[in-house]
Amino acid sequence: MIKTEGLCKWYRGHSSHKVSAVQDVTLSIVKNSFVVFKGPSGSGKTTLLNIIGTLDRPSAGEVFINGNNVTRFSDIALSGLRREKIGFIFQDFYLIPNLSSWENVSYPLVPLGISARNRYETAKTLLEKMGLGDRLAHTPEELSGGQQQRVAIARALVNRPGIIIADEPTSNVDEETGEHIRSLLKELKDNGATILVATHDASFEKPADVVFKMKNGMIG
Amino acid sequence: MRHRTKTAVVCLCIIAILTPFLAAIAISEGIRRQSMASVEAGGDLYLTFDEFGRNTAIPLKYLDEVKKIYGVTKVIPRIIGRGYVQNKLAVIVGIDKENLPKSVSCVSGRMFEQAGEVVVGIDLARHFKLQPGDQFSMRCQQRKLFNVTGLFSADASIWSSSLLFMSFKDAADLFGKQGVATDFQIYSLPGHNSEIASDLYGIFQNEPYRVQDKLMVELYFKKGFMLKEGIFSALYLVAFALGIPAILVASGFGLSERKREIGIMKATGWHTLEVLELISFEQLLISLLGATIALLLSITWVKYFNGVCIAQFFVAEAGMLPAFMLPSQFLPLPFFLSFFFSLLLTMVGSIYSSWRASTEPPVASMKL
Ligand SMILES: Nc1ncnc2c1ncn2[C@@H]1O[C@H](COP(=O)(O)OP(=O)(O)OP(=O)(O)O)[C@@H](O)[C@H]1O
Ligand SMILES: [Mg+2]
Repeated sequence: MIKTEGLCKWYRGHSSHKVSAVQDVTLSIVKNSFVVFKGPSGSGKTTLLNIIGTLDRPSAGEVFINGNNVTRFSDIALSGLRREKIGFIFQDFYLIPNLSSWENVSYPLVPLGISARNRYETAKTLLEKMGLGDRLAHTPEELSGGQQQRVAIARALVNRPGIIIADEPTSNVDEETGEHIRSLLKELKDNGATILVATHDASFEKPADVVFKMKNGMIG
Repeated sequence: MRHRTKTAVVCLCIIAILTPFLAAIAISEGIRRQSMASVEAGGDLYLTFDEFGRNTAIPLKYLDEVKKIYGVTKVIPRIIGRGYVQNKLAVIVGIDKENLPKSVSCVSGRMFEQAGEVVVGIDLARHFKLQPGDQFSMRCQQRKLFNVTGLFSADASIWSSSLLFMSFKDAADLFGKQGVATDFQIYSLPGHNSEIASDLYGIFQNEPYRVQDKLMVELYFKKGFMLKEGIFSALYLVAFALGIPAILVASGFGLSERKREIGIMKATGWHTLEVLELISFEQLLISLLGATIALLLSITWVKYFNGVCIAQFFVAEAGMLPAFMLPSQFLPLPFFLSFFFSLLLTMVGSIYSSWRASTEPPVASMKL
């Protein structure tokens, strides 16, 4: 259900020499599988997941989601796809600084016209599940890195996405919380979601159905 | 309103620009209305003599002849002069009691009846601490004592702050000019002004007289105000020219922060239009807030602080007059204009950049 064909992403740096972050990646991921991307730092995991998650456009190649070539999607169609199908957990969390935890988590629901009361309840349930029931009103700067990461995870789940893309979801948390997050992702997979994880964390190989090893922007 | 500092700064800029504007418009509108009302209440024609192109006194001997002209319903001779009471210039109007303008009414005491009696504008009286029953003298004729019989108020607050009324004869004595009036106010039947004018020509023949009709007086007034408004506008424009970039810069504040925020919103499924809607709504609130506060401040400024620092642009005598109620009129149009103006500015400062951030791939916008 997710397919990439000849995916490339290159950046032209200041020295005008070309950096290839992703090179000719062709892969296919079946629905309801748990996929792990591993590889050294700088190998292109984040870049690849961003492109698959429609947050970035490839320099060449195509991405298919549910048989649709999303590389050709309009801005509106992409927003719709992200709203309905994709939940993204960012390596850098990307929380909105002036909003509290529950507001951050429920922010994607604002344009859907859901009442503040319902949004609050939804966010509360998710944050409690992430062990942050007592941090609902805290803003990101009042939270530790691991707590922010969990808020970001809760936000990614708020639209009940069929595809969850997690970029280093356990890089900032202790062993125990990491285990919690892994089992949560496993549980989501068991409930029908497709999970894509980029990680250095070897413990993800246990729940994984497929492990892609990345090196120099290529799947090897 | 997530960006409090930014919102506050933009609001302050809007307020700083709009408050003097709203206050000035209200004052000039108030004054315009008052003077128009005064002109409206006056005669249809004003007759004076002319020397060196200026209005000069007209001999009373023509009074009867003018009265007899067909179409003339009433002729009121007046003496209008200025004189010092203590250290302030007051405008002295000598007019017979029955000819007093209708808008003038006694608020305490009674109208003047006998020689030496005057009624004083209520604000002027407050300034001099005069009460009915008090006596005072004018600097130009210290020997003559005037009795205050009453205090009056009038539609026009400038009147009650600068005028005192006395009988025609007293005024003639005070200024030492017998047998002349500073002008005749002529009331006429509608549509007879041109015939009256030609009859006046017949009467005066070789005398240097001057007739002004109501329209001319009105025009003259308007011209005066437009000039004063012009001076104010010029100063205001300078302030304005400095204020606009300030608003634009302030609305652009935290642009990178907002760009990042928009990237996050887009990444989590917001549509570009929804993002722009939210931003526009915020600008709308900021503009409305700014314009409303500016309106309240300008009302306070004009009504409670009597337009300190701004009134002198519009009332030439403001410095010379005792404190008086500054006329003002707040109309909805200037307010709506200000609101739309600030909306326009804040929008210009934010919509384009937001649209740019919103249509880029989210990854590019999210990066700081
Ligand atoms: N905006 C950019 N401009 C230029 N080069 C970039 C940009 N983003 C990424 N790169 C380059 O692309 C390569 C891949 O980066 P990417 O972030 O995908 O690696 P990664 O596998 O996620 O690394 P890590 O494990 O450290 O997160 C890196 O060499 C990086 O320097
Ligand atoms: Mg990465």
